[in-house]
Amino acid sequence: MTTNSNKPVLEIRGIAKRFDTTQALDDVSLDIFSGEIHALLGENGAGKSTLIKIMTGVHQPDRGEIVLDGRPIRIGNAVEAQAHGIAAIYQEPMIFPDLTVAENIFISHRDQGAILGWSKMYHDAAAILSKLDVHLDVRQPARGLTLAAQQAVEIAKAISLKVRVLIMDEPTASLSAHEVTQLFKLAATLREQGVAILFISHRMEEVFEIADRVTVLRDGKKISSAPRAEVTPESAIRDMVGRKVEEFFAKSQAQRGDRLLSTRGLGKAGVFSDISFDVYRGEVLGFAGLVGSRRTDVGLALFGVEPADAGEITFDGKPVKLHSADRALQIGIAYATEDRRALGLAMPMSIAANISLPMLREYLSRLGLIKRAAEESAAERFRERLAIRAPSVRVEVARLSGGNQQKVMLSKWLNARPQLLVLDEPTRGIDVSAKAEVHHMINDLAAQGLGIILISSDLPELLAMSDRILVMREGRQMGIFTREEATQEKVLTAAMGQNRGTGEMQ
Amino acid sequence: MMDAIKRYLRPEQIRELSLVFLIIVTLIFFGTQIEGYYSGRTFNRITTTVAIIAVVAVGETLVILTRNYDLSVGSIVGFTAYFVGTQLANNNGISPLAAVLMAIGLGAVMGLINGVLVAYGRVPSIIVTLGTLAIYRALLVNYSGAKTVTTDSLPQWLLDLARVNLFSVGAFDIRPMVALALLIVVIFQLVITYLPFGRRLYAIGSNPEAARVAGFPTQRIVMTAYVLCGSLSGLAGFMFLARFGNITVVAAQGMELSAIAAVVVGGVNVFGGSGTMIGALLGALMINTLEQSLIRWLQISEFWRDALLGLLILVAVATDAVIINRLRNLWARSGLQARPATETPGVQAQEEAGHDA
Amino acid sequence: MMRNLERLKSWEGLLLAILVVVVVINVVQSPVYLSVENQVNLFQLFIERIIVALAMTFIIINGEIDLSVASVMGLASCLLAFLHEQGVPLPTAILVTLAVGVIVGAFNGFWISVVGLPSLAVTLAGLIGYRGVARILVEDRSIGNFPEWFNRLGQQPLLGPLPLASIIFFVLLVAAVIVLQYSAFGRYVFVIGNNREVARYSGVKVRQMKMTLFIASSTIATLAWLLLAARLGAVRGSTAEGFELDIITMVLLGGVSIFGGTGTLTGVGLSILLILNLRNGMSLVNITSNTQTGVIGVLLILSVLLPNWGQAVRNLRNRRRRVGQGQTAGE
Repeated sequence: MTTNSNKPVLEIRGIAKRFDTTQALDDVSLDIFSGEIHALLGENGAGKSTLIKIMTGVHQPDRGEIVLDGRPIRIGNAVEAQAHGIAAIYQEPMIFPDLTVAENIFISHRDQGAILGWSKMYHDAAAILSKLDVHLDVRQPARGLTLAAQQAVEIAKAISLKVRVLIMDEPTASLSAHEVTQLFKLAATLREQGVAILFISHRMEEVFEIADRVTVLRDGKKISSAPRAEVTPESAIRDMVGRKVEEFFAKSQAQRGDRLLSTRGLGKAGVFSDISFDVYRGEVLGFAGLVGSRRTDVGLALFGVEPADAGEITFDGKPVKLHSADRALQIGIAYATEDRRALGLAMPMSIAANISLPMLREYLSRLGLIKRAAEESAAERFRERLAIRAPSVRVEVARLSGGNQQKVMLSKWLNARPQLLVLDEPTRGIDVSAKAEVHHMINDLAAQGLGIILISSDLPELLAMSDRILVMREGRQMGIFTREEATQEKVLTAAMGQNRGTGEMQ
Repeated sequence: MMDAIKRYLRPEQIRELSLVFLIIVTLIFFGTQIEGYYSGRTFNRITTTVAIIAVVAVGETLVILTRNYDLSVGSIVGFTAYFVGTQLANNNGISPLAAVLMAIGLGAVMGLINGVLVAYGRVPSIIVTLGTLAIYRALLVNYSGAKTVTTDSLPQWLLDLARVNLFSVGAFDIRPMVALALLIVVIFQLVITYLPFGRRLYAIGSNPEAARVAGFPTQRIVMTAYVLCGSLSGLAGFMFLARFGNITVVAAQGMELSAIAAVVVGGVNVFGGSGTMIGALLGALMINTLEQSLIRWLQISEFWRDALLGLLILVAVATDAVIINRLRNLWARSGLQARPATETPGVQAQEEAGHDA
Repeated sequence: MMRNLERLKSWEGLLLAILVVVVVINVVQSPVYLSVENQVNLFQLFIERIIVALAMTFIIINGEIDLSVASVMGLASCLLAFLHEQGVPLPTAILVTLAVGVIVGAFNGFWISVVGLPSLAVTLAGLIGYRGVARILVEDRSIGNFPEWFNRLGQQPLLGPLPLASIIFFVLLVAAVIVLQYSAFGRYVFVIGNNREVARYSGVKVRQMKMTLFIASSTIATLAWLLLAARLGAVRGSTAEGFELDIITMVLLGGVSIFGGTGTLTGVGLSILLILNLRNGMSLVNITSNTQTGVIGVLLILSVLLPNWGQAVRNLRNRRRRVGQGQTAGE
C-alpha cells in the first residue's frame, strides 16, 4: 500500500454545479494523493462525469475551487488542464487514426522544435511505452488499434506531458478481461512512478482489486470516502444505492396475457450472445445493466436496425426475421431510443411531422399526398393525452423542453400502435414531474395489453416499474429476477458480476 | 514473410508501389505496341505536362489532407499565366526572379481569399472554391479584354525554360521546368513529413474533433494550406506561360480536375488525413502516361482524356473505400495489439493470428 | 418549424427586396424590359438550368450534392446528336437518350447509396467522365440538321407565348411543389437531410430514397438538355459546360442549406428570378457574360456566408442572454 499521508497533490474543495433543474454536484470535496489510485463510485447520474468535466476544464464550477500543490488554479479548457498536469482518458479515446503511434503520443507537444526528429520521436515513444511495459509498434499508424491499445497510447501521451493527476473514466467498460489485466498493470506502474490516479468504474471487483481509496458519490453528494481496507463491496453498494424507492410511481400488477415475444440464443458477434427471454402482453420486462452491458444493442436487434446474427425470435407465436426498422414496425415492434437528439427526433421539424413519421403511409390521401389535417389531429390527441406543453403541434420540436421532447418521441412510437414497445432510458434527462407522467403512461400501456421492454440505468425506477428484471453484463445475460426477489442490492451485484440471479427461465 | 511485409510497409505505401508497378507495366506494354515509343520526344511530352500538373497537385494535396477541396486552382493558374505574361510582354526587362515572385504572390493572394472564407467564414470549401473558380476566371476575362498573350512577345529566357536541356540522362533530356517540379515535390514531401505544420495537416484531416480538443490552431493551419496551394498554383501559372507562350483567357481551364484526379489516383484520401506528395506525382505520371500512350496507340482523339480521368477518379475512390480499408483492417488486426513486452513478438504474433482465425 | 420558417421568411424577404430593386433598375434602363416578350425570352435563355435546379433542390435538401448534372446534360445532347448523325430516327434517339439518363443516375446512385461513397467525390468523377464521353461522341464538331419539327419544338411558342420547355418547366414546378411540400416522399427528403439516422430509425428506406433522387436528377438533366438541343438547333461537346455553378447557386441562394434539411421551392423560385433579372440587367448595361458568371460566383459564396454570420451573431446573442438570466449552458 503506497497511500501516503503527506499533502495531497490535488484538492477539490466544495465544488457545486447545477444544470437547469438538476443539482449535478453539491458541495463535493476530494483529496487526491500522488502514488495513489483513488476509485470514484456512483450510479449513473451520481455526478462523476460532471466532476471529471470540471477537473478537465470542460465545465466551470458554480462554487468551490480546485487546489493544486496548495495553490488554487483555474482550469478553462483541456489545454490548460494539460498544462497543470491533469489529463483524462476515456472509454473512447481521441486518437488520430492516420498518424503513427509515436506521433499520437507527441503531437500535442508545443516544444517539438522546427524540424521533427522522427528517430528521436520513435525512440522516446518506445521508451515511454516500454516503461509502461506496453509492446506496441510505434511506427504503425494508430488506425485500427484496439481500444486497449488506444488507451495505452493516451496514457503514454499523458506521461509524455508529465501528467500528475490521471483521470480514467470507465476505461475498462469495453475491454476484454485480458486487456483489463494489462490496463491494471499499467495503472500500477504509474502509481509506482508517483502519479495520482482517479479511477472511475462500475465494476466492483475491479475497484477492489486496484484502488487504494474508495469514494462514493450519490445524487451529486459525497457519501463516503475511506481507504479500501475499511470498505466492503456490500457497504459500497449500500452507499451507492441509498435512495428511497417510494419516490417512484409503482406499476400496478396487471394481468399477464399471452406470450408476445420470445428470443432463444439471440446473439451478435462481438456484441452480445445467448440472450433468451420472453415478454408477455401486459408485462413490463426491465433490462438492467451497467455501461457496456449491451442492453441497448439487444433493443436495436429487436427493432431490426442492427440485426442479430444468431438465435431465433418468435413474435405472437410466429417465427420472425427482423432486418429493418420498417419490417419491425409492420409486425408491431417499436423502439424509443435513448438518444433523442441523434436518433429519435428530427429537431427542426414540427411535432406533428415527427409523430406521424413512422406511420406516414396512414396519413396519405388517395393521390398520395399527406393529409395535414389528419396528421395534426392525431398529434393533437397525443398532445392532450400526454400533456405535451406546446402552443401548437406545428411548433418545431427543438423548441420544447427535454421532458416534452421525450413525450413527443413516445407519442411517435405509440402512434405506430405497437404490440411490443422497447423503451430505452425513457426518463433520462427529464424532470421529476415529467418522469412521473412517463411512468403513468407505461403503466397504462401495459394495462392495455402491450408488452414493454424497459431499459433503464435508474435502478429504483426499474424496480418500481418492472414485473421482471433481466440483468445483463458485458453482452451476457446474468439472470432474470421476479418482482418479488429483485432488490437493488441483488440486481446491482449481478450487474457488477459478483453473483448470478436465480436465472428464472421460462 | 507476411509479418515482415506488414512490419515495413503500410497499406498506403503498397498503394504507391502498385502505382509504380502499373506505370512500369503501362510503359512496357506500350513499348511493344508503339514503334519508337521509348524516345526522347515521348519522354519530354509526358514530363513537361506532368511537371505543371504535379506542382498544382502538390498544392491540392496540402488542402485535401485537411479534408477540404480547392476547385479554383485552374483559374488561378490561368490568371497568373495571363497576368505575368502580359507584364513580361509589355516589359521584357523584368527579371526572372521578379516574374516568378509576381506569379507566386498573385497566387498566394487568391489562395488567401479561399482560405479565409473556408477557415474563418466556415463556408464549405466546395462552395467557396466553386465560386472563386468562376470569380477568378471572370476577373481574368475582364482584365484581358479578350486579347491573348503571344509567344513572340515574351522574353527568350522564359521560353527557354521549357525548351533547353538542364542536363541529359542518356537520350532523355531534363528540362529546367521538370527539375523545378521535382524540387517542389521533394520540398513539400519534406514539409509534410518533418515540419510540425505538415503533421498537423494530417492530424486535422484525420480527426478534426480531436485536433480541436488538442488545441491546434485549426483555422490558421487550414488557411495556410490554402495560401500555399494558391502560391503553388501561381508558380504553375508561370510554368504554364513558359511552356505554351500563347495564353488565352481560357488558359488552364479544367486543370483543377486534372490536379484532383492526379491527387486521388495517387492515393491521397478524399476524406483527408492520408496521402503523400510522391503519391500525387505518381498519380499525375500514371494519368498522363496512359493518356499520351492511348492517344498514340489507338489513334484515338484526345477527347478520350476526360472520360478516362473520370473513370480513374471513380476507380481510385472506390478502391480506397473498399480495398485499402480492408488492407488497413487486416494490418491493424494482426500486427498492432498491445502486447506485454516480456513475451517475444514472434510467439505473440502467432498466438494472435490464432485468436483471429 | 416556426423558427426556420421565420428565418426563411426573412431570407425570402431579402431576396424579394433585392429582386424588386434589380427589376426597377432594369426597367429604368430599358422601357421594354417588363414586356411579356422580353420576360419569356429571359426565361427561355435559362430554362434548362432552371428545370435542373428543381431536381437539385431535392438533392441538396436531402443532404447530398450532384456536381455531374451539367455533364449529364452535355452527354444527353451529344448522344442525341450522335445518334441523329448515325441515322437513327429522332424519336428513337430521344428515347435512347432518356434511357441513358436513367442509367447514368442509377450509376451515380449505386456508388452513393449502395457502396457508400460521398456524393461529392462520385459526382465530381461524373462531372469529368460524362463530359468526356460527350466529347468522344461529337469530338470538336458541331452537329445540327435536326428535323424541322424538333427545332420548332424548341424555339416556337406552343401555348400562348410559351414554348415547350417553359410548359414542361411549369408542369415540373407544380409537381415538385406538390411532391416536396405535400407528399410522403418530400417529407422523407427533409427528414433524411435533417438527420439520416432518425429517418433510418423511423423505418424510412434511406438508400432507396437516395437512389431515386439521383436517378430523377439525371433523368431531368437529360430531359432538359434534349430541350436545349432543340432550342439551339446544334450541339457541341462543350455544351452546358460550367452550368453546375449556375444551378447550385440558384438552389443555395434560395435559402436551401448546403448541409441539408431546410429549404423551400419558394425561395429557390425567388432566387431563380433574381439571377435571371440580374443577368439580364447586367447584359443591358453591357456587362459580359463572363463577368456575370463571376457575379454569380460571389452570390454563391455570400448565400452560405451570410446565413453563417447570422447564425454566429444569434449564437452570441443567445449566449449573452443565457448568461444574463444566470443560467448555465449544459445538456
